[in-house]
Amino acid sequence: MEFFSDKKVKIVSITIAAVILVMIISAAGRPFLSSGVNFLTKGLSQVSAAAASQGEKTYDELLEENKALKKESANLRTQLVDYYDLKDENARLWKYYKIKKGNSDYEIMPASVIRRDSSQDFYSFSIDVGTTNGVYVQDPVITENGLVGFISSANAVSSKVTTILSPDLQAGALDKRTKDSGVIAGSALYADDNKTTLSKIDANAKIKKDDIITTSGIGGIYPENLIVGKVSDIKYDKYDATKYAVVTPYENIKKVTDVVVLTDFKNKGEIKRISEKEK
Amino acid sequence: MDKKFTVVRYFAFGLEILLLFIIQSTPNLIPEVMGGRPLLLIPAALTIAYFEPEIPAMFFGLSCGILLDLGYGDNLGYYTVLLGVICFLLGWIFRDYMVVSFLNATAFSAVIITVLICVNFLFFYVFAGKAEPGMYFLNHYVSKIIYTILCGVILYFVNKGLFRSLLDY
Repeated sequence: MEFFSDKKVKIVSITIAAVILVMIISAAGRPFLSSGVNFLTKGLSQVSAAAASQGEKTYDELLEENKALKKESANLRTQLVDYYDLKDENARLWKYYKIKKGNSDYEIMPASVIRRDSSQDFYSFSIDVGTTNGVYVQDPVITENGLVGFISSANAVSSKVTTILSPDLQAGALDKRTKDSGVIAGSALYADDNKTTLSKIDANAKIKKDDIITTSGIGGIYPENLIVGKVSDIKYDKYDATKYAVVTPYENIKKVTDVVVLTDFKNKGEIKRISEKEK
Repeated sequence: MDKKFTVVRYFAFGLEILLLFIIQSTPNLIPEVMGGRPLLLIPAALTIAYFEPEIPAMFFGLSCGILLDLGYGDNLGYYTVLLGVICFLLGWIFRDYMVVSFLNATAFSAVIITVLICVNFLFFYVFAGKAEPGMYFLNHYVSKIIYTILCGVILYFVNKGLFRSLLDY
């Protein structure tokens, strides 16, 4: 009797008894155990059955097919990336085409923003073209939405752009509707809101909200009729009580990523040429 | 004497500087907080200088300065010279006269960062005759200084870790 008191033997005996009991119940037409197992494994079986129905392939064949599919997938991924690149490139070129089509005298150099350093004030940025691309200091920088800034320094491979949000940029501009003229210059008051100002407006000017401001072309630094933005407010200077307009550019200067440098245009450097002739 | 770890450490610091430059200058990568973004290379140079001897500290200061000036424009100068000199002095002071501790380093960094950025603002904004200096300083430079000092705290631990794990005994 000592044999039956052993723990392991007890477990084995109980298990065998249980199995026999289940066999008897199943034989009596109540297969509850197999039902339970089937219920739990049904989903898995469906998947494996579906996979098996794809064909009677050997392991090596499946391995070969897997390799081929992986290769095809990689190719498609590369093609997809190329497609997105081409799509972006197409969108960019289309913008440049529109700029060029509207202004046949423009010589343009497309560029991308490569740096927006924390040390730069008034949202200045660097672009990936320089003097080797024919870009020089004072060249205007634009997008399809209008003036963005000018090249304030250039080296062989990159250039720094000072934006229209900076007080360093000063450009002759006028109200397209009323022909009131002024000077576009950035301001610390408005730069954070992506706005610039049109100052030195005549006291009797009829400029009003929503008027479109464009460059006047006077001075030969910026071409004529380049859109700067629209008037969002008219204010008075607190120091000298002169009138100025707050201008909102159509381009988000703080976020712009692709720009165009105008390397040449009609009447570029007009003042310089006239003064050289006079000499 | 075997200097294997020293070389690896310098290489690691070099990579760190390059990485911070890329992070600092990549458009829209570091979020702007109250109008300011940090100048990561200033605390990087300073925190390296706390642990390194004066000559290597100076070279790391110069490297950071060059990259900072490059971000500012094309004219090398302000940060290159000042960070070179400051890092040399820090390397010397902390090697011979002071013990590097978190409090010491943070206090030094806070003062140096504040002075450097304020003097930079004075030279390149106020003396350049740009409008509304007071308002621009409050809206952009105060947050830039605080943001830079806070980044300096993180960089102190990063560089301390690098220094300790790559030290030749």
